Parts: sequence; structure tokens; C-alpha cells
Amino acid sequence: MPTPNARNEAVTVSELTTAISALLTEGIGDVIVEGEISNFKAHSSGHRYFTLKDAGAQIACVMWRTRSLDFVPQDGMHVILGGRLTVYPPQGKYQIDVIWMRPAGVGALQRLLEERKRLFAARGWFDWQRKRPLPVLPTTIGVVTSPTGAALQDILRTIGMRFPAARIIIRPALVQGQGAAEDVAAGILDMQTSGAEVLIVGRGGGSIEDLWAFNEEVVARAIIESSIPVISAVGHETDETISDLVADMRAATPTHAAVLATPVTVDDLVVSIDDQRMRMTRSIARRLDDLRALVQRFADGSAMRRLQERLLQRQQRIDELTTRYARSVGTAIDRLRQRVEHQESLLTSLHPLAPLRRGFAVLERDGSVLPPGEALHRGDTVRIRRHRQTADVTVTEIQDLEHPEGASHE
Amino acid sequence: MSKKAPQAAQAEHVDERPLEERLRRLEEIARILDVGDRPLDEQLKLYSEGMTLAATCRAELEQAQLRVEELAK
Repeated sequence: MPTPNARNEAVTVSELTTAISALLTEGIGDVIVEGEISNFKAHSSGHRYFTLKDAGAQIACVMWRTRSLDFVPQDGMHVILGGRLTVYPPQGKYQIDVIWMRPAGVGALQRLLEERKRLFAARGWFDWQRKRPLPVLPTTIGVVTSPTGAALQDILRTIGMRFPAARIIIRPALVQGQGAAEDVAAGILDMQTSGAEVLIVGRGGGSIEDLWAFNEEVVARAIIESSIPVISAVGHETDETISDLVADMRAATPTHAAVLATPVTVDDLVVSIDDQRMRMTRSIARRLDDLRALVQRFADGSAMRRLQERLLQRQQRIDELTTRYARSVGTAIDRLRQRVEHQESLLTSLHPLAPLRRGFAVLERDGSVLPPGEALHRGDTVRIRRHRQTADVTVTEIQDLEHPEGASHE
Repeated sequence: MSKKAPQAAQAEHVDERPLEERLRRLEEIARILDVGDRPLDEQLKLYSEGMTLAATCRAELEQAQLRVEELAK
């Protein structure tokens, strides 16, 4: 860099200031400074002006309206800030153009964390309705964490034991220090197209300052905007970070996160598969047995026999019916026959010769029945006709009866 | 059903479907066979498919080794 007075001639104030500005911005440039705030002024324009000091020095600071600030700075507050050293020519003054600022010290961080929790809770970022269910059987699991930390080893070991069929995609990320929050957020974003079905985001234990990246809004937003469900595993159970609160699931430790990411283990699945296999075999065997029995019924002729039995039964029924019919018909005939016989005997009894059967006889002369009015005389020859005999006799004695009607009445 | 069918199928082509999908299919087949109202030849086909799925899934799970990949920044 050329010295302004290299030619040993006077330069303008502006020329000198430009040279100073170049020297400062190029020679020092980006700074991270820790100190105490004094003379803080929030201008109506939205820009903030203050002085950062320690026991022996002070430096002017400006934080433009566009720089986000999520706490209210107060004089005397101990802070860490990052920015660029610049020169303000109108006042011949150098100052820090502050890009970010946060309270320094455990107490201040704790207060800031509480403040953020209230703010984000009010935005609804911690609401349960927002949280998505974790997949039951993820085969691809994304991990955003430090590639060298114990947390990653715990996660890999646990998943390896529970569900070695999984594919694990690691996105190495800075998890503490300057740029950590941005890197973790970028890692979550990178994961969106990786095919991961669930994300584990986190790191092992540490101080509140070590874990601070996971309290930053940029990480919280990345988790909220992730299309993949996120399990947060930051530090130990007692450290509750913003990431833990906005994530779909909070794990107490990285190992716990690995368990949550693999709710079903390989052993569970093998048992389930064996179970299905037995079920299928039982079902098909039962079905085949049924069919075999069916086939068997036809094959051994029992079906035919049953058919025949039914035919025989039918035949028997027919016989039964016809027998009963015949019997009733027969009875009717018998009755008719009796009636006929009765009439016959009646008729028979009316035959002129019928009395002969009962022992009466008829007198005949010259082949004709002797009429009752014709008298007989001694010496007459007549024929006596009995039932089965005839006898020719001669009359030897005559007596006239007083009541000839009584004798002839038959 | 010949016992060779599942092994042959395993050797010839790897089932590309995700594990979860195949396991769901396996459960579905077991359920259908349980009910048993499909025609016999369909049931036999399903049984064969189910046994193949069960064998390949089981083998896959038992032989599985964690695959770890790194996503470039």
C-alpha cells in the first residue's frame, strides 16, 4: 500500500482518510470483541449507536437497523460482538460495524435464553400441534453433528446395534464457536434432499456457551422449516436448548436420539417375519387340508354311497306308500265281495228249490210240480223231489187236513 | 411350491422395494391367507410370494451392516 506522503507533498484530508480507511478495513477487517456497553442509543431511524469499552479503552460501535438483535442492550451489559472495522470520514472516526451481538457470561446467556424461550413460545414455535410423528421404520437416518465428537460415535454404535439395516448420512457441522449456528442450520438444509427420513441434530454435553449455537434463531428456523422430522439431542438432559423445544422430538442424549430414531429393531422385525411365515403356512395348510378332505370324499365313493342311500330311502318310501294304498284298495274289494256274496245268498234263498236244502220236498207228477189245489187219491203214483234225491212213491192212505194252508205255507 | 423358488428369486434379482413396503406386503399376504376366501391357485401364488418375501427380508436384516455416508458440505 503506497504511503500518502510518498512524494513528500501535502495530501488532502480526504486522501489521508481514504488511506486510513483502507489500512483499517484491509489490515484488521473482521473482528470479534468482548466488552461492556456504554452510552447505548437506539435512534428513531432504527440504527443503534454505542460504545464498547473495558478498563483501559473504548471503541465506537454502530449496529444498523437491518442487523437482527434479539435482546435489549443496556449500559453496563457485558457482550460479545462480531463485525468489521470501518472508518466514518465525516467525523474522522473509526468504529465497528456490528453484525451480531450477544450477551457474554453465563448469567447473561441464561437470561437471554429465557427471553428467547418466551419470544419463540409466543410465536407458537414450541406448540405440540406443530410437531410431526417420527417414522416407525426409517431406513435412512440423517445426522447433523460434529464429525469428531463422542455424540456421533454414540449414535452410530446405538443404531448399529438396534437397526444395522439403516443407512446413515452424516453432515459434519461446526457445533460451537463462531459460525456454528449457521453451519448447523445449513446442514439441516443440506439434508432435505439427501433421502433421510429422520434427522438427528445435536452434540454432546458442554457449558451453556458451548451449546449456544443450538439456542440461535437460525437453527430454530431450520428445524421448523425442515420437511424431515427432527430429533434434537443437545448436551445432557438438564440442558434445555431452543433446538430441543422446537424439534419434533427431544432426546436426553445422543444415544437416546439414536433409540428414538430406530423404534423398531432388527430383532423385532425378524420375530415379526417368522410370525407371518408361520401364519401363512398354517393358513395354506388348513386350506389344503380342507380341499384334500373334499377330494377324498369323492375319491373313496362315500359321496356315491350317500347318493345311493338317498335313492334307496326314496324307494322305500314309495313302497311304503303303495303298500298302504294296496291295503286300502283290498279292503274295499273285500267289502264289495261280501256285499256281492250277501246278495248272492239272498238270491239263492229265493230260488224255488231253495227250501229243499232245508229238508222240504216237492211233489211232482208227470214231470211237473203238483199244484196245491190238486187232490191225491189212493193208488196215485207221484215223485218226491228232495234236495239230493228223488223217490217215486204210491199213495196208500189219504187224510184231509183242516188247515191245508198251514201245511202248504212255506 | 418348490423350495428352490425363493432362493432362485433371491439370486436372480434383488427386490428394489423399500424394506417397509415389503414387510407391509408380507403382512397383507398373511392376512389374505388367514381369511382364505381367494381361489386356491391365487392363494398358492400368494403363499409363494410371501415365503420369498419373508426369506429375503429376514436374510437382508440378519446380514445387514450399517452403511455410513458423509454428505459433502
